[in-house]
Amino acid sequence: RMEASCLELALEGERLCKAGDCRAGVSFFEAAVQVGTEDLRTLSAIYSQLGNAYFYLQEYAKALEYHHHDLTLARTIGDQLGEAKASGNLGNTLKVLGNFEEAIVCCQRHLDISRELNDKVGEARALYNLGNVYHSKGKNVANAGTHDPGDLPDDVKNALQKAAKYYEENLSIVTELGDRAAQGRAFGNLGNTHYLLGNFRSAVLAHEQRLLIAKEFGDRSAERRAYSNLGNAYIFLGEFETAAEYYRRTLQLARQLKDRAVEAQACYSLGNTYTLLQDYERAIDYHLKHLVIAQELHDKIGEGRACWSLGNAYTALGNHDQAIHFAERHLEISREVGDRSGELTARLNLSDLQMVLGLSYSTNNSMMAESHAVENSLNGGRPRGRRYSMENMELMKLTPEKVPNWN
Amino acid sequence: QPLAGGQAAELQSKVVPSKQILHSDNMEMEPETMETKSVTDYFSKLHMGSLVYSCTGKRK
Repeated sequence: RMEASCLELALEGERLCKAGDCRAGVSFFEAAVQVGTEDLRTLSAIYSQLGNAYFYLQEYAKALEYHHHDLTLARTIGDQLGEAKASGNLGNTLKVLGNFEEAIVCCQRHLDISRELNDKVGEARALYNLGNVYHSKGKNVANAGTHDPGDLPDDVKNALQKAAKYYEENLSIVTELGDRAAQGRAFGNLGNTHYLLGNFRSAVLAHEQRLLIAKEFGDRSAERRAYSNLGNAYIFLGEFETAAEYYRRTLQLARQLKDRAVEAQACYSLGNTYTLLQDYERAIDYHLKHLVIAQELHDKIGEGRACWSLGNAYTALGNHDQAIHFAERHLEISREVGDRSGELTARLNLSDLQMVLGLSYSTNNSMMAESHAVENSLNGGRPRGRRYSMENMELMKLTPEKVPNWN
Repeated sequence: QPLAGGQAAELQSKVVPSKQILHSDNMEMEPETMETKSVTDYFSKLHMGSLVYSCTGKRK
């Protein structure tokens, strides 16, 4: 009686999670755990699914807890396949939490057991996970400093090269297995790894493969991702027209998919690309579109960037009134979000603009004094060259992958 | 005035867009894959317990 009800609750949890309602699924799984069961395999499956549900709900601490229970249980009952799966899930969760070393140990365990069991599918999946962990590890260290892709410290390069190696190993297995979906995923992340390594031609090749597979499946989200990543790679190849073409396709798909955040990002990329093409009117057009959506989404960081970009583009056009207007808004927003270096950038831009206009306006006296105070606090006292670029702006650090680009 | 004009030109020439912006946080990764287990997984293989069979039987 007790057993049946635990199982029934778990089955309902499975049904709900499959239907995409993880929140409700979690409630049923939790209830099943409360009721309890003598059957440790059933319990292991419940823990595993609870861990995954929490992972998809982005509650990683809870995901970690349940995948850990699952791993312990799988070992207790000597279920090797179950242990491999739990290790992989634990590894993925540790990766998201930024605990790369332990993540590697867990994913490696997933790989070792899969090989012992001669489980090709499991082996391939473990290799993909390992690639993801090394990619995140590399990106995480790289994000700590600012440099263009390809200009990397050794530890970053090592991690990224390992990631590429794992993705390629994964690709050779999934190609053999004829698993196109898995190939698509590996090509996408391999492309991003090449991109960070500065191998932009290789990145393009990989993303083109990804694009092909996305079209095969009619997967428009994946197609859009590929366009966006291709656009990024072409920027660094200096082929701005091609980049603009890909970003336009990204924008088109983002609108079709009704994803405002992604639409905003595409407009922003287009604005920057047209700036690189020195087509400032178009750049302004796209940055304004980006600004509107950023405001709509209450994205202060994005709004600040838009204002900074617009100030720049208007400066390039010699429209100093508008340039000042946006530089002032950039300053306001930087203050609001507590972005000290953004604030400094805005102040310097404003003082440059005022010098050009021969203006001194109301805030000017205090502004210059404050500007030096901020500058001193940032640079240990030595004022640097004028007109700071975005590189100097400490934008909010986003965590790897899991956080949407637009928050 | 000429001074301001010169400065304006200088200012315009300083509008260097940054590639860094584009790559800073705009790389789109593929989704993770998680391994899945199901409470019905192994019943179908060997453990055809009569108790659970009544439950899962309904779902097959």
